[in-house]
Amino acid sequence: MNGEAYYCTVEELVQKGKDDIPSPFLLNAHLIYSSPATLAFNSPGAEGFGVKRAGLAVPGSVMLLVAPGCCGRNTSMLSSMRMYQNRFFYLLMDETDIVTGRHLKKIPQAVEEVCQSLEEKPSVVMICITCADALLGTDMERVCRRAQEQTGVPVRPCYMYALTREGRRPPMVHVRQSVYSLLEKRRKKGNVVNLLGFFSPLEDDCELYRLLEDAGVRTVHEISRCRDYEEYLSMAEANFNLVLNQEARFAAEDFYERLGIPYIELTRLYQPDKIASQYQALGAAIGASFSWEEEQRQAQEAAEAFRLAHPEAAFAIGECVNANPFELALALVRMGFQVREIYGTVVPESFVYLNRLARLSPDTRVYSNTEPTMLFYDGRDAGVNITIGKDSRYYHPECPNVMWNDDRQPFGFAGVRRLFQELGRAWEQAAGPDGTRNVPEPGNEEKGGGSR
Amino acid sequence: MKGLRKYLSPFAPDQSGASGVLYELGGILVICDAGGCTGNVCGFDEPRWFTQKSAVFSAGLRDMDAILGRDDRLVEKLMEASGKLHPAFAAIIGTPVPAVIGTDYRALKRMAEKRWEKKSLPEKNMAEELLPVLTVDTNGMDLYDKGEEKAYMALFQTFAAEKFPVEPGRIGVIGATPLNTSSTEGGGKLARALGTGQERKVCCYGMGAGLEEVRRASAAEENWVVAPSGLKAARYLEETFGTPYRIGYPGAENLIPAGDYRGKRILILHQQVLANALRLCLRRMGAADVTAAGWFMMVPELMEGGDVSLSEEDAFEELVREGGYDVVFADRAFLPGMKGFQGQVVPLTHFAVSGRLVD
Repeated sequence: MNGEAYYCTVEELVQKGKDDIPSPFLLNAHLIYSSPATLAFNSPGAEGFGVKRAGLAVPGSVMLLVAPGCCGRNTSMLSSMRMYQNRFFYLLMDETDIVTGRHLKKIPQAVEEVCQSLEEKPSVVMICITCADALLGTDMERVCRRAQEQTGVPVRPCYMYALTREGRRPPMVHVRQSVYSLLEKRRKKGNVVNLLGFFSPLEDDCELYRLLEDAGVRTVHEISRCRDYEEYLSMAEANFNLVLNQEARFAAEDFYERLGIPYIELTRLYQPDKIASQYQALGAAIGASFSWEEEQRQAQEAAEAFRLAHPEAAFAIGECVNANPFELALALVRMGFQVREIYGTVVPESFVYLNRLARLSPDTRVYSNTEPTMLFYDGRDAGVNITIGKDSRYYHPECPNVMWNDDRQPFGFAGVRRLFQELGRAWEQAAGPDGTRNVPEPGNEEKGGGSR
Repeated sequence: MKGLRKYLSPFAPDQSGASGVLYELGGILVICDAGGCTGNVCGFDEPRWFTQKSAVFSAGLRDMDAILGRDDRLVEKLMEASGKLHPAFAAIIGTPVPAVIGTDYRALKRMAEKRWEKKSLPEKNMAEELLPVLTVDTNGMDLYDKGEEKAYMALFQTFAAEKFPVEPGRIGVIGATPLNTSSTEGGGKLARALGTGQERKVCCYGMGAGLEEVRRASAAEENWVVAPSGLKAARYLEETFGTPYRIGYPGAENLIPAGDYRGKRILILHQQVLANALRLCLRRMGAADVTAAGWFMMVPELMEGGDVSLSEEDAFEELVREGGYDVVFADRAFLPGMKGFQGQVVPLTHFAVSGRLVD
C-alpha cells in the first residue's frame, strides 16, 4: 500500500470556511484510522481519563462493569495502578443476556457480592454499561435504584456509550454528571468554590488558587483532591462553580438546578493576553479585583527565554494534549515561533483560532489523525524539529517532544510557563554532548509529503 | 456468581483474535464498532501495532447507524478507503454492536464486493483487481481463540483455493499469533524450532508468512497446529487438499525453568496445545501427574482424564485449593485466585490473559 497523507493548509481551511470543512476532517465521513496517534481518540480509557477511570472519581467508590468482555479488556492496565486496585469488578454479558436482558436481574446480587468481598463498604457502586445496553434501551437508573434498595449502598449508573460520542451528551459529559449526582443540598458557604472539569487537580502552582484566595475564597474543592467521601459531599456547600472544561457544563447546570449553585466558565488558553482578559472578566463577574502581572511576566519570560535559546524551533502540535491544538498553535505563532504541522479534529469552533492563524501562518499544514491516508504520513521533509503531544511524537520520533498530557492539569499563566520549561528540558535532553543535534533545518524542506 | 469477576480482568475477546490472524496480511481491517473496541484491539491486544503499521480502522459507528442499520454507509466508507489504500483484501470484524442489531455479514460481504466491482470496473478497467471481502462474525463476548478460528477459516476458504503441487519440506503453521505465543517473535521462534537442522520452509501464517504463502497453503507437506484455534482450519486444509496435520508446540521445553519436577503433581494453565506440549515435557522430566486446565477452547480429543475447562473464578480457586498440586504453571494474573496455595508457582505468561509478553 502506497500513497500520501491528506492535509490542508490553514489558509485553505479558512478559505473553505466552517460550513465547508473538507470531508477528511469530518469524523463521520470516513473510516477511523487506528494508529498509536489515535489511541486516545478511539479508546479514551487507554490513556488519561476515560469513563471507567472518571467514574471512580468519587472517593471510596468501586465500579461494576456490566458488559461484554471486550469492553473491559484494557481495564487490567488500570487495575494494576495502586489507586485502582480492588476497585474494578465485572459482570460479563453473553449472547443470551443480549437476547433476554437477564443480566439486569443479576445486577443487585452482583453488587451485593462485590460489597461483601470488600473489607470496607464502598461509598458508591458505579454501574458502567456500554454500547450493547445503549442499543437495548436499558433503563439503568431503575436497575440502580433496585440494587441500592437491596444492598443499602448508593448505586449510580455511568454510561460508556461510544455510539453517542458526538451526540449532545457524550460519555465524558455524562460521567461528569454521574460523579456529582450523589451531592445533596447543603447550606452554602460564601467562601467555598468548586473547580469542575478535570478528574485530576490543577498544578499546585497555578495562579488560579491565589487569585481565588485574594478574592476571599478560603476553600477550593476539586473532586480529585477530596480525601474522603465526607469532603466530597461538602462540595455541595460551594458558593459557585468554576468550569474549566466545557465537558463539565452539563454537570454545572445540574449543580445549578439541583443545588442552586451557579457557575462561571473559563477556557484553558495559552495566549497570555487572552488569559489576562479572561481573569479580568472573572474578577468583574465575582466582584473582585485581581492582580496577575507577576505570573504573566513569568510566563512571558519563560516563552522568551526558550525563543532566544532556540529561535529555529519549528513545531508540530498534536491533539492528544492538555490544550486546544489550534489555540496552542496560534499562541506559539503569536510569540514568534514557527508551527509547521497540526494534527487535529477540525470543528466549526476551531475557526475562532484558525481565522487568525491563517493571517499569521497560512502555510501551516493541518492533518486529521483519524483519516485513512494517515497510514502514509511521512514527516521527513516537514521541517519540524520539536513536537508537542503524544501523537506528534509518533509522527516525528526523532524530534524532542513534550507529551503535555499529564494527569495534573496545566492552566493559566502557570501552564504557559511550565510548557516552555518542559520544552527547554526536552530540547536540552535531545541535544548531544556538545549541545548540538541533528535536526532538519526549517525552511529547507522540500515540498510534498502530503496530498490535497 | 456466574459471570462475576472480582479479580480477573476480561480476557482477550474474539474480535482481537480475528484481528491478530489478519494483521500482517496486507488487508484493510475494519472493526465494526464505535471506536472503543478498536482501541482495545490495537492498544491492548495487538503488540505489533506499536512497531508495525497495518491498515486497521474503526467503522466509527454512531447510534443512528446502528438503529437504522446503515450498512450502505459502512460500505461506502470502506470503498473510499480501499480506493485510497489499494489493499489486498478487506476484512470486516464484528463486535457487540453488530451482534445486537443482527448484522447480516454475508449480505455485507456481497454488498461490498459488488460495490467495489461497480466502482472499479468502469473507471479503471480493473477486472483482475477485485477486492476480496472477508467477514468475521465475532461478537465481543466470545474469547480470542474463537475469533482466531473464524478468521483462519475465512482466510483459507477465501485465498487457499488453488491446488499446488506439494513441496517437500514446506511446513504450514496455524495458530501462531501474539495472543497464543505471548511474543511478537512467536512465529520466528516456532519456525526456528521446527526447522532446526532440517531443509524446511516453515510458513507461520499471519506471523511471518504473508498472503502469498496463504494462497499456496496447499503446497505444504504438512501443517502444524500450535493452538486449538488453528485446528478447524487444519482439518479444512486436510479435507480440501489432503494436507496432513500434527498438533504440537515446538520449543515448548524452553518455557520450563530448570528444576526438579520428579514425582510432582502439576497444574498447567494456558492454551490447550501449549499446555499439552508442556505436559509431555514435564512427564519426560519425571512429573507424576500433570493436569491441563484452560479458560479457553478445550478440544475434547486433546483432553486427558482430569483436564479442566474453566469459566468462573470460583471454580479456578477450588481447583487450586482442592487439587493437591505441588506446582502450578500459570500467568501472574491468576495469582489473586491462588491465595493460600503453598506449592511452587511457575510464571507462564499468556498474553491473552494479562496482556504481558514474554520478551
